[in-house]
Amino acid sequence: MTVSAADFAINIQGVRKEYGPTVALAGVSLQVRRGESRALLGRNGAGKSTLIGVLTGLVNPDQGTVEVHGTEGGPAEGAGSSTIACVYQKSTLVPDLTAAENISLGDYPTKSGGRVDWAAMRVRARKLLADWGFEHIADRTVADLEPVERKVVEICRALARGPKILLLDEPTAGLDEGGCQQLFRQIAVARSRGVSLIYVSHHLNEVFQVCDSVTVLRDGRDIATELIADLTVQKIVDLMVGQAAERAEAEEAADPEHAAALTASVDSSDAAVAISVTGLKVGDRINGVDLQIRRGECVGFTGLDGAGHVQLAEAMAGLVAPTSGTIEVNGKKIRGGSIRECIDAGIGFAPEDRHISGFVPGMSNEENSTMTVLERLRNKIGFINGARRVKQYHTLASAWSIKAAGPTQSTEELSGGNQQKVVLARALASDPTVLILIHPTAGVDVTAQESIYRTLKELAQAGCAVVICSADDVDLEICDRVIVMFKGEKHEEIPRGWDERTLVASVQGHLATSGSNT
Amino acid sequence: MTTTTTVGAETPGAGPKTRRSPLDRVSWLRELVLLPVIVIAIIIGAILTPRFLTVNNLVNNVLVVSAVLGMVVIAESIILISGYFDLSLESVVGLGPMLAVWLVMPATVGGLGWELSPILAIVIMFVVCAAIGLFNGFMIGKLALNAFMVTLAMLILLRGITLGISGGQTFSSLPFLFRVLGSAKLLGISVQVWIVVVAFILAAVFMRHHPTGRRIYAMGGNPAAARAAGVNTLRLTIGVFVVGALIAGVAGLMLTGRIASVTANQGDGMIFTVFAAAVIGGISLNGGRGTMLGAATGVLLLGIIQNILTLSNVPSFWINAVYGVIILGALVFGQLTSKRGKRAG
Repeated sequence: MTVSAADFAINIQGVRKEYGPTVALAGVSLQVRRGESRALLGRNGAGKSTLIGVLTGLVNPDQGTVEVHGTEGGPAEGAGSSTIACVYQKSTLVPDLTAAENISLGDYPTKSGGRVDWAAMRVRARKLLADWGFEHIADRTVADLEPVERKVVEICRALARGPKILLLDEPTAGLDEGGCQQLFRQIAVARSRGVSLIYVSHHLNEVFQVCDSVTVLRDGRDIATELIADLTVQKIVDLMVGQAAERAEAEEAADPEHAAALTASVDSSDAAVAISVTGLKVGDRINGVDLQIRRGECVGFTGLDGAGHVQLAEAMAGLVAPTSGTIEVNGKKIRGGSIRECIDAGIGFAPEDRHISGFVPGMSNEENSTMTVLERLRNKIGFINGARRVKQYHTLASAWSIKAAGPTQSTEELSGGNQQKVVLARALASDPTVLILIHPTAGVDVTAQESIYRTLKELAQAGCAVVICSADDVDLEICDRVIVMFKGEKHEEIPRGWDERTLVASVQGHLATSGSNT
Repeated sequence: MTTTTTVGAETPGAGPKTRRSPLDRVSWLRELVLLPVIVIAIIIGAILTPRFLTVNNLVNNVLVVSAVLGMVVIAESIILISGYFDLSLESVVGLGPMLAVWLVMPATVGGLGWELSPILAIVIMFVVCAAIGLFNGFMIGKLALNAFMVTLAMLILLRGITLGISGGQTFSSLPFLFRVLGSAKLLGISVQVWIVVVAFILAAVFMRHHPTGRRIYAMGGNPAAARAAGVNTLRLTIGVFVVGALIAGVAGLMLTGRIASVTANQGDGMIFTVFAAAVIGGISLNGGRGTMLGAATGVLLLGIIQNILTLSNVPSFWINAVYGVIILGALVFGQLTSKRGKRAG
């Protein structure tokens, strides 16, 4: 290379980071020129988060050097957030303060006597916002702003301390199409002023709009760095997936019994339809979905964040009310929008995040796992029959292989995997014919994961229709077919036996059938 | 669906059917952490004044004086466990009986002049109590208004109505029905004590063993999880406020019965003691935690302390200050022991 090191905004050489036995980064080099816009891509677990941590100084690498604008941070100090401005997916704004005050938060300009200099604060905010064409929002409360305006406030705050490198992590989360385009235009303007950009996103089409070049991470290494002009979505997918697909096939060949046990499909083509969805719409999140799931079938729902697969599962379980369309369970139409109604109709539901809505922390395992069926545990005078509850818990605990000290142990004391099994037990307690599970193995170790899959297979064989809504390939592998959602629509259905590449391309909105010849 | 692998995963003590694990007994004991403190308070009381440790004093003073507080603590505890709180309960204690008496009394002594029968007046009173709870529950559950502000406003409003209809005066020489809850005795013990004991037992059994009671705990512990498990949280929220207001109405009748009159400031300032008793008794202000048994020990402890302070000739102007210090001490003690208890369980 003929460019001198000083021309690089970021120059990372041979960075390595291990967490115990796990190698998060196995020697990554990354060079970004001033004014360049670089996409950082990779599947979950490729090392993206760790690399972002290294860039922002949150993670100290074990080996390697990190230089930002020619000044070496070195492995010990890291780069520090004063040189790189980061905007993360989750909002860090204070909703009830004005845009101007949010931008100066923690760094208030002051007058004599330590009083806040409101005028100076407003001037500073206007100046920063003017670069994005949003001068007029300086005095408005953040809670009253549009999503894209909030994102801009967030970016302005990040840039307020003068860094020339901007790191955007999934910046389009929560923005609609118009908002995205507006954001991309503003990013282009910022770049024309010499701001370098690191762009992290799962949405590959955005990358083609925003970035000049792409670095793909896989298994903790930088697999490739290419100009965007030389790439297609399919090529990026191939780089991200790499040999993993072939390796998985080899593993299956080596252990055919295990693979067969998990992927053995029940022939359900003539079984009764357990749940049927027609023309389902939920606000602007889902635009007309039709699907049928038979008893004994195991169906995966997947998609990118915000593609609508989670909303679809939630609407089928009664957590969100459909705007229009019908849902029939075992031939009976349900009103929708009521969990109770769905449970009574034969739907079992495990919500997305067990800590937010899965279980009640102070409650015992037996109570958490039977919360959906309290009515069925009543004795003659209407109170809960303790013996029946313990019996019910033991049935569920053995079905899911819950490892706990006993029924009265508090669920919060269990390991993540067993907590998740208690949440799954709660879904199964009502003896449902349709089981809808969102991210059933999130934050769960491999053993617990295997055990959950085994139970799901048993349930399907016993005639239960199982829906697994997940972004995790392994979850989807046990499904008979996978329904891919893209921008609120049912994009395609992929039958069992897909390879990773097909799936990754499909969630990006490409048809697996037409893209498979590359 | 039964697999054999898991039987070994359970600890031997927690076999199937009805055998209870040792942990269960610990958690039951945890509700009684205040018991040693109560014993210490009784010992101190006995040392300070010989009049304290007599059956007559304990039953007719400590328990009778605590009965009204106990009823309101039951109401507040149910609402606290559900994840909310209600400041207006003390003004229901005031408004309820005042309204009923006002409807009964002739205009010559300051009543409305309708001279309704006491029974009808009491029925109307409970309808009004239920309506107050319904309104609170609707504002908080449906409109998602802040429970503190809604019930504070309600507290001020109801106090104002009480003052307005009574003109600030005290009604005495009440009909029998308004005095019976104070004067009646059963087996030599005031009916007030029987009512509060039975109410505590009913509430404890309901909260522990009734599906609705468990749903209240679930909603207070994690409302999103309760909703995802099919619990109708709106109905439950309105329900706890209605039940709370009705219990407070009963407490108001008991207070009126005890002092055989109804004053315009009946129940004034009581809510602070109610919160203190509930929290000292282990009811969490964040919802979902605590038991009726614990709340009962909180009431008992405060009742004993109040009684000792009265008997041991603490200057009456200083009683509140001493009371405040003791409540603070009890809170610190409760916090320390609950942490220890948590680790044990």
